[in-house]
Amino acid sequence: MINRRKFLGLGLGLATLALAPVTASALDFRKEKIDAWKAEKPADAIKALYGDIKPEEKGVKIKAPKLAENGGKIPVSIKSDIEAKSVAIFQDANPRATVAVWTVQEGGIVDYSITMKMKGSGKITAIVEGKDGKFYSKVLPIEVSKGGCGG
Amino acid sequence: MKVKAKEKDGIVKVKVLAKHQNIGPEEAEKKKKEANFITSVVAKVGTAVVFELNGSGFMSANPLYKFKFKGKKGDELDVTWTDFKGETENKKVKIK
Repeated sequence: MINRRKFLGLGLGLATLALAPVTASALDFRKEKIDAWKAEKPADAIKALYGDIKPEEKGVKIKAPKLAENGGKIPVSIKSDIEAKSVAIFQDANPRATVAVWTVQEGGIVDYSITMKMKGSGKITAIVEGKDGKFYSKVLPIEVSKGGCGG
Repeated sequence: MKVKAKEKDGIVKVKVLAKHQNIGPEEAEKKKKEANFITSVVAKVGTAVVFELNGSGFMSANPLYKFKFKGKKGDELDVTWTDFKGETENKKVKIK
């Protein structure tokens, strides 16, 4: 059960940060949410980044090869039509879970691609933080024939 | 860094190819190299931020980033990445 008061407080805090004049990030996730980058398992990383959320499994598409020949360079795309504040991607094959976090701008388009590494086969989890205060997710298993990440 | 930005119907499609080892601490220890990876990529048109990513050592070496935003031909796209050591690289291109 989300603590409504705590959640609203968090929302206001983020809004204030967004209004401040910025040269780069309004919210630098590496600085603000350092624990999310340390977490080993996706569930812990998600909790460190977004709190105790219950994402709905809808509205998010992950495009990635079912079988990645080279674990060191796996092309992954995340798409969503949801009006978003941020998007995050995690996996459970590497020593730590968090791969990347995007801050979505006002009127931004959630259609991002990256190339990532996975040490072995595992699952990719994408989370979209909606402007509506809700979270949306998608999980996709990926088989890796040759592990990247020095593994 | 190579940056390509093309606009069609008001949507700009961007490809950014960065040159970076992107090695996180665990991999660095195994390979006996120094850990260093791109921690953020920010793209702007004027003062408006159009792309913002925080990365990790789990992005591939020489990563490819793609994104889209609402924009127009002729505007200048300004892309900067920053890495763990604090080094940065910047590239400006005109949206075609």
